[in-house]
Amino acid sequence: MSAPAPARPSGSAPVTRAGHRSRFSSVAAKYIMAITGLIFSAYVLVHMIGNLKVYQGPEAFNSYAHWLRNAFYPVLPYEGLLWILRVVLLVSVIAHIVCALILKSRARRARGGARAPSIRRRRGLGLSVFAGRSMLVTGVVLLLFVIFHILDLTTGTSPAAPDGFQAATHESSYAYSNLVDSFSRWPASLIYIVAMLALALHLLHGLVSSVYDLGIGVGSKARNILAAVALLVALVVALGNITIPVAVLTGLIS
Amino acid sequence: MKLTIDVWRQASDETDGRFVSYTVDDAAAEMSLPELLDRLNSQLVEEGEDPIAFDTDCREGICGTCGITVDGIPHGPEPHTPMCRQHLRSFSDGAHIRMEPFRSSAFPVVRDLVVDRSAMDRVVASGGFVSVDAGTAPDADTRQIPFDMAERALDFSACIGCGACIAACPNGSSHLFTGSLLTHLATLPQGKPERGRRARGVVESAEEEFGPCSVYGECAEVCPAGIPLSAISAVNREAARAAVRRNRDD
Amino acid sequence: MSSPLTDRASEPLDGRIPDGDPATAWARRKLDYKLVSPLNRRKFRVIVVGTGLAGAGCAAALGELGYDVVVYTFHDAARRAHSVAAQGGINAARAKKVDNDSLERFVKDTVKGGDFRGREADCFRLGEESVRVIDHMDAIGAPFAREYGGQLRTRSFGGVQVSRTYYTRGQTGQQLQVAASRALQRQVGTGSVDLRTHREMLDLIVKDGRAQGVVCRNLYTGEIEAETAHAVVLCTGGYGNVYFRSTLAHNSNVTAAWRAHRRGAYFASPSFIQFHPTALPVSSHWQSKTTLMSESLRNDGRIWVPARAGDDRPPNEIPEDERDYYLERKYPAYGNLSPRDISSRAAREQIEAGHGVGPLKNSVYLDFRDAMERLGKPTIKERYGNLFSMYFDATGEDPYTQPMRIAPGAHFAMGGLWSDYDMMTSVPGLFVGGEAGWGYHGANRLGANSLLSACVDGWFTLPFSVPNFLASHLGTAPLSLDDDAVRATVDDVKARTEQLLSIGGTRGADDFHRRLGDILYTGCGVSRTVSGLETALNEIRSLRSEFWNDLRVPGTGRQLNQELERAGRVADYLEMAELMCLDALDRDESCGAHFREDHQTEGGEAQRDDENWAFVSAWEHVPGTPEHPGTPIRHAEPLSFETVPLQTRNYK
Ligand SMILES: Cc1cc2nc3c(=O)[nH]c(=O)nc-3n(C[C@H](O)[C@H](O)[C@H](O)COP(=O)(O)OP(=O)(O)OC[C@H]3O[C@@H](n4cnc5c(N)ncnc54)[C@H](O)[C@@H]3O)c2cc1C
Ligand code: HEM
Ligand code: HEM
Ligand code: SF4
Ligand code: F3S
Ligand code: FES
Repeated sequence: MSAPAPARPSGSAPVTRAGHRSRFSSVAAKYIMAITGLIFSAYVLVHMIGNLKVYQGPEAFNSYAHWLRNAFYPVLPYEGLLWILRVVLLVSVIAHIVCALILKSRARRARGGARAPSIRRRRGLGLSVFAGRSMLVTGVVLLLFVIFHILDLTTGTSPAAPDGFQAATHESSYAYSNLVDSFSRWPASLIYIVAMLALALHLLHGLVSSVYDLGIGVGSKARNILAAVALLVALVVALGNITIPVAVLTGLIS
Repeated sequence: MKLTIDVWRQASDETDGRFVSYTVDDAAAEMSLPELLDRLNSQLVEEGEDPIAFDTDCREGICGTCGITVDGIPHGPEPHTPMCRQHLRSFSDGAHIRMEPFRSSAFPVVRDLVVDRSAMDRVVASGGFVSVDAGTAPDADTRQIPFDMAERALDFSACIGCGACIAACPNGSSHLFTGSLLTHLATLPQGKPERGRRARGVVESAEEEFGPCSVYGECAEVCPAGIPLSAISAVNREAARAAVRRNRDD
Repeated sequence: MSSPLTDRASEPLDGRIPDGDPATAWARRKLDYKLVSPLNRRKFRVIVVGTGLAGAGCAAALGELGYDVVVYTFHDAARRAHSVAAQGGINAARAKKVDNDSLERFVKDTVKGGDFRGREADCFRLGEESVRVIDHMDAIGAPFAREYGGQLRTRSFGGVQVSRTYYTRGQTGQQLQVAASRALQRQVGTGSVDLRTHREMLDLIVKDGRAQGVVCRNLYTGEIEAETAHAVVLCTGGYGNVYFRSTLAHNSNVTAAWRAHRRGAYFASPSFIQFHPTALPVSSHWQSKTTLMSESLRNDGRIWVPARAGDDRPPNEIPEDERDYYLERKYPAYGNLSPRDISSRAAREQIEAGHGVGPLKNSVYLDFRDAMERLGKPTIKERYGNLFSMYFDATGEDPYTQPMRIAPGAHFAMGGLWSDYDMMTSVPGLFVGGEAGWGYHGANRLGANSLLSACVDGWFTLPFSVPNFLASHLGTAPLSLDDDAVRATVDDVKARTEQLLSIGGTRGADDFHRRLGDILYTGCGVSRTVSGLETALNEIRSLRSEFWNDLRVPGTGRQLNQELERAGRVADYLEMAELMCLDALDRDESCGAHFREDHQTEGGEAQRDDENWAFVSAWEHVPGTPEHPGTPIRHAEPLSFETVPLQTRNYK
């Protein structure tokens, strides 16, 4: 018996693939995240502006809430606009969350999970880095908040809603008193304030991120501008909203 | 200077690794990190121990062979500087330095500080080239390329293929590397005829090999070639462009 | 005098250059080449070792043509070959400008630059094919510098008076190398090239007088692997690292070429090494290389040493009249811009005479003080800012406030495996390309010509000449892996590995390598003397026997073992170094970079002896023992020059 022939290099060495083989690409997921995220961003910005009407007094705020329901009547049925919005938002939120979870699990796998001991970030833990790294957390906070918020001010379901909740009717809306009743409870206000901080963080990273994800090449100068705009929007939306529970708690609005 | 170095020792991908502490008494400020490892290794050889395996070649920052994680940062504390051009000047006497391999699922540890980065080449082989056979090229002077365009392509083609971006990325994403490749070739007219084809091939392969990007920006912070962060957007842009022009190669 | 050790071969060596006008030789030779029809190409396997510009080009081109190509590199990726480090540029005889450049002028510059020790006909091919090298590299994505009008931009480089150097910022090598390795990856993607990274070729399989395969070590697993083919191409780069500290990459080595040499391939002009005058000096024992600083620094920097030997005051305290601007003094016409070899030699002289500066007294100053006074710091910063910061990076010294220090560093190997006009070595079926070979650069390489030669060999010479060889082997299969010749070679490699592992001494390979480098820099460096070379030879021999008795390689052969890799390379260097010294001793003249102090003009220039030495030395290995490799036989290929008459350089 002669010795076995010398080894010929095996053409296919074992290959580790850290990515995924699903037909649903991460690029598509990111486009969906970016588009739905921007829809939310636009929504919270507009919604915040609407919310500020609370400072114009009960009539203005209630009639704004009423208008929301009667807008474009009779072209749209009662609550038509609202339902369009609700459907868009609901679909978006589901897509946003599903994509977020898919991406996060892919990211974890690619990073190496437990195999990869901690890495220190070169940039330390600045605000924007923190915002980026906590997207999933702030996102979940936002999800829980929205559920609470709808139970509180739209459906009036206890215990989220204040005791004297009055549902909107075809003729009028009681948004103002519902809001004041709700925010008069300090825990509820606290929930709102915390949620707004989460929102600010989420927007801070989300707005910058979505621009890159839409494939827009941002140079280093433009990046600074973009980051500043994101910070501005995040602060405006969060602070604008936060003033309301603060105003209620301090008795500025009643 | 005297340094204590915690080095990741791992016999192979199948076995577990751990940090082992060593001291070097006669380190000097002008030593580069590979030279420090050379010093330590000669000490180990003399003591009859297994020297530390680590990758390095040109030692001037261009080949992309070197790459270890130093104190948690791919390549080390100096920003935008490959490991081979990091010097002990950045550390103080008596410092504690921690050295470990580039960490990423796509980079299995071969031994100690050496990782297998072949995933990056598989991405290139999936379309990261211009399909022109030897001898068939047109006269390069007839193809006019504006100064700015050539310079812009160079900004992105400067990538040395070290993989630090992937090791720095909390998602194990290769977007900076992949994006620099796509931008380089999409910028030049030479790369246009198969721009869509290339994007499809490269992005699909990058998805198989690496993680998704969450725009954390860590990659560009460590990149020794100074590839701008805007490179990452090219991945989505080129992929979307190719998807929209589904039946076309360009 | 000549070495008593060498035994000359009587027959002149035939370079198989086409007869007649060298200017048209390539066209005629191509027409003579046999072809392989497209359908038959898959039946031929070709092994290419190396993925630098030469190897990647050759493998990609053969893959594009349809051959079954296997490529090896010891790097973990094709792109990392040391071609990637070239900064300056790549020449081409496109002669587009009206600066009166032409193919003939290119040839003239190259032949003269090589001090008439290269092949004229090869230089014509180099110039002719250079045109499409630029076209091709541009087409596959290298972003060459462009004019505002969109045309390719050129500059003049390395003592040439025309503008024929194409470049991409300071990264020409990188951009070409990346483009070439992507072209190679394209063939990997299509399956026509099988790329095997992290494999080091350790031996050549020769059977029936033909190269038929290689034996490699898988560096990750330690497995010894064999592969057979119809032809083998070595594009394994230069061996400047024999000097330990050089401008080459840490892992560049001579092993592939040396192993082939030991299997019968002649080694041409081993002692022809180019030293770069503006390399970073060695400042400490542990410094591992002499990084190349751009020569452009010499445009504004003034080179000097303290006039008094051993003066160790800080540079800025040495008054003007105690400084010796020796290049300006000796070569008033060119001054600080004197050619590489002259500058290197002058620096070495100063250092040896005790005027060296720096902690190890082994460098000279390159001073920007006057330029900064004249032009202002901002201008200097703009011109050299990145070089200055690179210098600061490496040395910790600030060149804005104190002079830079530079020293000659081993840089480029003009010598290499001898090959004929078809790039085939003296072993049929074994081809060579790029810096691993010899040919165009004679005794001194012109700046920006070697990226070109690697590209021309890889893309536009080997793809013609290798098929010509293959054509006559149609119908034969590659050697079986079971063949005795394959087994015997594999056994040799295994035995050698075991031998290295089993010495059980006390020192690592690097230690020997460092000492070898010191011996060579002193004895076989920028200038050479008979007695210096003889001393070096003795020192090399005793170092070699020390190596085989006192080497320690920890670990085993069945794992990634970088000490083992180094040990094997140093073992080959220890043999190679001897051949270099023998060659330098044998070549009883000065030419180009080979400067023998006993052969200089009155002005201290290299003095050629065309009457007796107008030939290329090609050394044949004669087997011996590890401690005493056999005494090699020197063959001579006569050189003749038709278009460029023999003449002497003058830089006074
Ligand atoms: C710092 C520097 C600057 C330079 N600048 C210029 C310049 O401006 N212009 C110019 O024209 N030239 C320049 N040169 C010279 C030029 O870069 C080289 O001569 C040329 O690139 C060599 O190319 P190559 O393909 O022959 O070898 P390399 O690029 O060195 O490739 C060698 C290949 O062989 C492989 N290999 C070697 N041995 C083995 C083995 N045993 N087993 C398996 N694989 C092996 C390696 O892995 C590698 O892939 C410069 C050189 C240096 C060092
Ligand atoms: C008002 C609600 C929300 C707004 C305004 C919003 C906005 C955004 C935006 C603009 C982005 C950037 C998208 C991109 O990277 O392209 C984003 C990303 C993200 N969102 Fe939201 N989002 C909201 C709700 C949520 C919810 C409810 C969750 C999940 C539970 C969530 C989880 C995430 C995550 C994890 C990311 C990061 C994705 C990644 O890592 O790439 N978001 N969001
Ligand atoms: C302090 C801050 C906020 C205030 C005062 C506020 C106020 C209100 C009020 C009064 C309504 C009820 C409108 C109506 O039913 O007539 C409402 C509805 C709603 N708000 Fe807010 N809101 C705040 C923040 C947010 C944020 C941050 C989000 C999203 C992340 C959000 C999402 C919604 C949604 C989804 C509805 C339900 C719309 C519908 O379906 O009817 N709100 N908000
Ligand atoms: S993009 Fe930068 S960090 Fe990433 S591989 Fe290229 S050079 Fe390295
Ligand atoms: S760090 Fe990672 S998430 Fe994207 S921006 Fe860089 S690849
Ligand atoms: S060793 Fe080449 S980049 Fe560091």
